[in-house]
Amino acid sequence: MSPRKKPELFPVQEARLPNGLRVRMVPDHDAPVVSLYTFFQVGSRNERPGITGISHLFEHMMFNGAAKYGPKEFDEVLESNGGRSNAYTTHDATVYYEDFAAEALDTVLDLESDRMRSLTIDDRSLKSEREVVKEERRLRVDNEPAGLMDEALHALVYEAHPYRWPVIGWMGDIEAIRREDCEAYFRTFYAPNNATLWVAGDFEPGPLLKRIRKAYGDIPKGPAVPGVINAEPPQRGERRAELRHPSRAPSLLVAYRGPQVTDPDTLTLDVLQFILSVGEGSRLQRSLVYDKRLAVNVGVDWSWRRDPGMFAFHLELQPGADVRAAEDALYAEVRRVAEQGVEAREVEKARNNLRAHLLREFTSNSGRAHALGTYELFLGSWEHGLTLPEAYGRIDAAKVQAAARRWLDPTQRSVVTLVPEDARS
Amino acid sequence: MTAAKQRTLRAIDVGRGLKLHRFETTSGLPVTVAQRGRIPLVAVRLILSTGAAGDPPGKEGLADFTMRLLRRGTADRDAHALDEAIEFVGASLGLFAGEDQVAVALTTPAEHLPAMLRVLSELARVPSFPEQEVRTERERSLGQFANDVDDPSLLADRALIRTVWADHPYGHDVTGTRASVARFGREDPVAFHATHFGPRPAQLFVVGAVDPDVVGRQIEEAFAPWSGGPRGGVEIPPPRGIARGGTVVVVDRPEQTQSQVRLAGPAYRRGAPVQFAAQVVNVTLGAGFTSRLVREVRVKRGLSYGVASAFDTLRAGGLFSVSSFTKVETTGQLLSVMRKEVQRMRERGPTQAEVEKAQRYLAGLFPLRTETNESLAAVLADMALYGLGDDWLDRYQDRVRAVTRAEASEAAAKYCFPEAPLTIVVGPAERLRPQLEKLGPMEILSADDVL
Repeated sequence: MSPRKKPELFPVQEARLPNGLRVRMVPDHDAPVVSLYTFFQVGSRNERPGITGISHLFEHMMFNGAAKYGPKEFDEVLESNGGRSNAYTTHDATVYYEDFAAEALDTVLDLESDRMRSLTIDDRSLKSEREVVKEERRLRVDNEPAGLMDEALHALVYEAHPYRWPVIGWMGDIEAIRREDCEAYFRTFYAPNNATLWVAGDFEPGPLLKRIRKAYGDIPKGPAVPGVINAEPPQRGERRAELRHPSRAPSLLVAYRGPQVTDPDTLTLDVLQFILSVGEGSRLQRSLVYDKRLAVNVGVDWSWRRDPGMFAFHLELQPGADVRAAEDALYAEVRRVAEQGVEAREVEKARNNLRAHLLREFTSNSGRAHALGTYELFLGSWEHGLTLPEAYGRIDAAKVQAAARRWLDPTQRSVVTLVPEDARS
Repeated sequence: MTAAKQRTLRAIDVGRGLKLHRFETTSGLPVTVAQRGRIPLVAVRLILSTGAAGDPPGKEGLADFTMRLLRRGTADRDAHALDEAIEFVGASLGLFAGEDQVAVALTTPAEHLPAMLRVLSELARVPSFPEQEVRTERERSLGQFANDVDDPSLLADRALIRTVWADHPYGHDVTGTRASVARFGREDPVAFHATHFGPRPAQLFVVGAVDPDVVGRQIEEAFAPWSGGPRGGVEIPPPRGIARGGTVVVVDRPEQTQSQVRLAGPAYRRGAPVQFAAQVVNVTLGAGFTSRLVREVRVKRGLSYGVASAFDTLRAGGLFSVSSFTKVETTGQLLSVMRKEVQRMRERGPTQAEVEKAQRYLAGLFPLRTETNESLAAVLADMALYGLGDDWLDRYQDRVRAVTRAEASEAAAKYCFPEAPLTIVVGPAERLRPQLEKLGPMEILSADDVL
């Protein structure tokens, strides 16, 4: 089947309310369940020093009560009606989602619109949620070397851009964020004109749109969202950082500056990511894990970003491994792509896997709503997401080599190494 | 072998619009095919009734080690050729070992299903365990243990398993230990495969937009040459309760600023009739975002980002556990709140309103458990492996809704630590000592002791 058929398999209907709220509906009657996603175009890139982590802390505050449903009632009502919720924050977006029994749809719209209309931000819940977020930071960063390394890497790669600080924020900032900061943040970024609803599952779009209009229609439009300035100066040579930690094995994190998501090379780098690191037969897996046996695990993180991102390699090494040798082996593989290119068969394999990956995203209501919403957020239109297989089809070995030459430039590299150190010394 | 000898396809209506097509290949492999959906991705799952519980003493981790090596070479292809065959077409293949089962989970674009079935059959029948690949895998596994030291949550889980089950076959992590893995030679996976593999203890599940007759013929062809294997799975004796109840086992990590904590006591075997009442108790106490534990630990006190309770049930027995984490300074407080909530549940059970809320929660979300082809294949495999019955999917929601408050309270009284639970803490032992020593006798381990 051609992926072009997907719009017929899962027809998307869209609307925009007068207050600017974008609505996307993907009906499917296979099971009596629905998933609802709310995408807000705000993330840590919209922050400034002093309030880093506010996007994420705010995500927590969104569960602490509004005018109609009081503190913690959101989940109480949702779970009592056969549903579950969660949310996540990234550098570029904040996303809330619920999966629930279809008969709870009206209740969920009532809950979601209530908090967009009238969130209450009080000192007591801010105080409690701040402690919860600090524990989350201790879990994901302070007691987790991979988290520490990632934090060090961002601070190394970005000197001026807000991608410099971690999404969860610096501990000192989490401590210092005030109620007024949260209120200003809510007014600016949580208005309907900065949000998109994606609903997928067992419903009829016509009646659903009427219910959405009723639930959200009276929420006033917010101010225009301020732009983010990218003042990042050019990088003039390799940057390095070393992290000492009582680990048993060294690790390595190497990032090259990458383009922003709308750059045509973004999709080419998707293909390169698959060739290098996805699957047991990928180049780095074969070379660094199986042939040279330097690494236990290896991966490439090439996450789409609204502003210029990074193409990052992470290597968990064998205990006692020579980090320099691992680096050299990695750079040799990178050079091999830039200098000798890749085989047509590798490109075809990557395309097949990217297509399977796209299909996999479409196998659940939640997956469909999330994938299409993410494409819209990053690419500007969800239709664009549906034509990705064709777009990947136009990428050939020459383009992959050219992208590797352009982006995997040693002078644009940042390197973080984790050096094992005895805890008791 | 011809398709004519293959046992007839039987169609069983299991409710919710789902039909299972069952047959046995001429070689004796039981097969279940579920036709559904429109997306051209097919999920295939092959399970065998063996697992880490069948690891020979001193060879802990062997089931897992064997599974990892399956795709590193067969009689017909080397690792690279296998990787290419699977990955070129966009299929993905995962190899797993649990306590009671080993499984190969495959997802493939529909048009490549016949070729992928042949690969699957090859992996199951004729893995060659090349000497060099065994060495590499051993080194990689040992390297993974070294990297695992940095994961406090994983250390806590490993410490729990090895302590709570003691010398029972469930008493080691499926990945084994550094000492046992270091001793693995080629003869070990070879012997494991020879002993445990074959169509007799295996079952195959296929879910997707497929024609059962066509797939049946493809499976027959791919698996016709497979033969043998033990009758029945590995015998696992029921565990005699848990070991070291009342003890506080600390895995010492001096540099940590946050402690991982676990409480555990005995529960029931997978599929026991009490499971529905027990799940109502679990949801009320520690699942989702509105459980009693979340309210007391996270919402009221800001002590942790997450806290959860769970029944982990296996063929011969199960565990009830509560997990969380908090900064070192509040570890004792967190443990005392957790214990108090479990005790309150044990003594008074859930309220009628809580029972009803848990029922709506479990029933409402149930369809999501089988939403994708992969998840349905996994559930069908569990239904078969644990004897949950063909009406499992159809009747689950009714069974949950039928639980009474009295039944839930009885389950709470039985499983919410009527005897003192085992306590595991991963964190800086000396700084934790003043908070923990009043909770029970303390035993201090190093990370090396649990790896």
